[in-house]
Amino acid sequence: MQTANVNRLTPYLFLAPAVIVLAVALLYPIGYMIWASFLNWNPSQRIGEAEFVGLRNYMFLLQDGAFRESFFVTIRFAVIVVVLEMCLGVGLAFLLDRKLRGMTVLRTIFILPMMIAPIVVGLMWRYMYHPSVGIFNRTLKSLGLDPVPWLSNGDWAFASIVIADIWQWTPFIFILSLAALQSLPSSAMEAARIDGATGWRLIWHIKLPLMMPVLIVTALLRMIDAFKVLEVILVMTNGGPGLSTEILALRISRTASEFRELGTAAAMSNLLLLLLMLLTLAMFAYTKITEARAARLRARAEKDS
Amino acid sequence: MQMTKGLTALTVGALLMGTAAVADPYEPYEGTTLVVNFPAHPHFDAVMEVLPQFTEETGIEVEVDQLQYLRMRERQTLELTKDEGDYDLIAYVVFSKADYVYAGQLENLAPYFMNPRLADPNYDAEDLIDGYVQNIGVAGGERGYLPGPTGSLFGIPFGSETSILGYRRDIFEEHGLEVPETYEEMLELACLIPELEPGMGGLASRAASGHHASHAFLLHLAPLGGRIFDNEWNPIVNSAEGVAAAEALQTIVGCGPEGSETFGFAEAGASFLQGDTAMFLDSTVFAGQVNDPARSQVVGLVDWAPHPMGVRRGSQTGGFGIGIPTNAENKDAAFLLMQWLTSREADIAIAIAGGNPSRFSTHRDPSVLEVHPHLEVFGEALQYADPDWRPIIPVWGSINADLGTTLSQVLTEGLDIQEALDGVAERTRATMQDAGYYTWTSDN
Repeated sequence: MQTANVNRLTPYLFLAPAVIVLAVALLYPIGYMIWASFLNWNPSQRIGEAEFVGLRNYMFLLQDGAFRESFFVTIRFAVIVVVLEMCLGVGLAFLLDRKLRGMTVLRTIFILPMMIAPIVVGLMWRYMYHPSVGIFNRTLKSLGLDPVPWLSNGDWAFASIVIADIWQWTPFIFILSLAALQSLPSSAMEAARIDGATGWRLIWHIKLPLMMPVLIVTALLRMIDAFKVLEVILVMTNGGPGLSTEILALRISRTASEFRELGTAAAMSNLLLLLLMLLTLAMFAYTKITEARAARLRARAEKDS
Repeated sequence: MQMTKGLTALTVGALLMGTAAVADPYEPYEGTTLVVNFPAHPHFDAVMEVLPQFTEETGIEVEVDQLQYLRMRERQTLELTKDEGDYDLIAYVVFSKADYVYAGQLENLAPYFMNPRLADPNYDAEDLIDGYVQNIGVAGGERGYLPGPTGSLFGIPFGSETSILGYRRDIFEEHGLEVPETYEEMLELACLIPELEPGMGGLASRAASGHHASHAFLLHLAPLGGRIFDNEWNPIVNSAEGVAAAEALQTIVGCGPEGSETFGFAEAGASFLQGDTAMFLDSTVFAGQVNDPARSQVVGLVDWAPHPMGVRRGSQTGGFGIGIPTNAENKDAAFLLMQWLTSREADIAIAIAGGNPSRFSTHRDPSVLEVHPHLEVFGEALQYADPDWRPIIPVWGSINADLGTTLSQVLTEGLDIQEALDGVAERTRATMQDAGYYTWTSDN
């Protein structure tokens, strides 16, 4: 009896140190940030010297117009870039999923943007959007068209950061989508073809549903990243004009470093974390449903073949 | 006889050596290694060229941790809260004065200047640029951040800057234009130049959302007679003078080079250096680039004039100062280095190497003017350096950001200036209320 107990516990005992270290490494910073959000803490103080203010930082955020604006800019940005990048990335994957000469080189070129450091991407686009020497306005002028106020008008500036993000991160979606596409079971494809499915019908009814679990995780990863994007926007617009491109990560960074309000910055980070956690849970729930659907589809295809 | 003479000579020599050793204030610190923290900045690059001379003269070694400015601030924030810090001397940006002094992290310099073993009687503090000393060095007096009966010295200006007007001599001569001395003249010229020289902007100014727009506005606010607060900390940024300053900025940006609304300091400077703009009004630190052929296309074409006058003179004060952290290990030796760096001789050597002088006399020194003739005009301008052109209070960061983003909305979205500044004043009042600035006012 005792031996059976020891045998049952052995794996847990072996795993325990790693689990404890991981839990401490993950949970300690989060706990620290939650605690900091209840303090009136500036960087000149040690955390122990900061005044406990309860929920005051959260109450302040609820009334702070600039925070609200940042919050909505972030949501708008994340939703727009993820939707557009998913459409383009998946579209490109379907387009390039074929055996053509030079395809390997082409695929490598496609993934180059995501390998460039975000600061460099920001600088590069900032100069391309430059009102007089930037390539876009010079081209427009050479065609006899009016220059565009890329970064000096709120709406255009928002569009400009969306374009830069799409340029950098569509390849990420493309790579994962292509991998998912190429690992689809050939039996399912054959069965669909035997049933007469070709072209759009094959993509829409067979390939996309089978790829959906991967696509959802991909979209989730991009969504999380889009909510935290900082460097490119910092360099390109620094949040301006006005607050038109001030995404939450930038607001948090400014609150901590420029305004020196670490407690408020921690409260903002916690709200962002909460939002991302809810989003992740929702996505995982949806993944479960689509995985079950894909499994049913796969089983049916295998049965048919 | 010969032997006696020899002995006497030896004795006198030894006595002189002994006297010299006793008179050498650096001797007790010989062999000490000081660790200093400087920003990556043209002034401190010049300092690095002169610094070996200090070690040669004093035997005190200096290890410099030179960091990009924002990283330097972050590093200092961590270092200064430790019980024992790594730095013996730090350069701090002007608005850190409020944070560091308030947190008790910088040494009051009075005991050092009172110590006869440390204080050089020939230091000539009167020669230090008064506006800089008040703005960067002193705290605890009037309004908390200015001199006054209760104020003390916590740092010495080092790498400080004021505002100056740069203009294209060739363009001005070609069109027979007079160098503007008043705001009226400057604004008129700013919009006349694009008409005379199509494609060229009048005056390059920073205006990007946030700190840059706020800085540009403040440059005009002081000369046009305005302030952010009155004497009781009531926000008066929305006064007639505040509106005039915002209108001046709007005019300058409107008649400036294309895309001015997004310019930071670097872009505004680049526009002037590339020959796209005829005037530039900003910090003196920019002057070092104008005649550098690697960076400038207007080499030899630029002259300088003092910041034009509005209803009063009032050019900016800012940049860096140096101070001794309270958690420093070698405070006395750090004071000696600080005193040496800001001495007349070192100030001249640093200025020749391309740094910003901290002393009036350096701006008149023939050896400096031979290399940098423009410093003569800068010396004139410094008489009007306004130490109160911008409040140096701990909550300034958030007020500055709000002011800067609102002004950016004025410039890019056509927000009404009066309404925009009324909004800033209202939010500033709430920030000041939270920070306790109205605790002692009667209507609280």
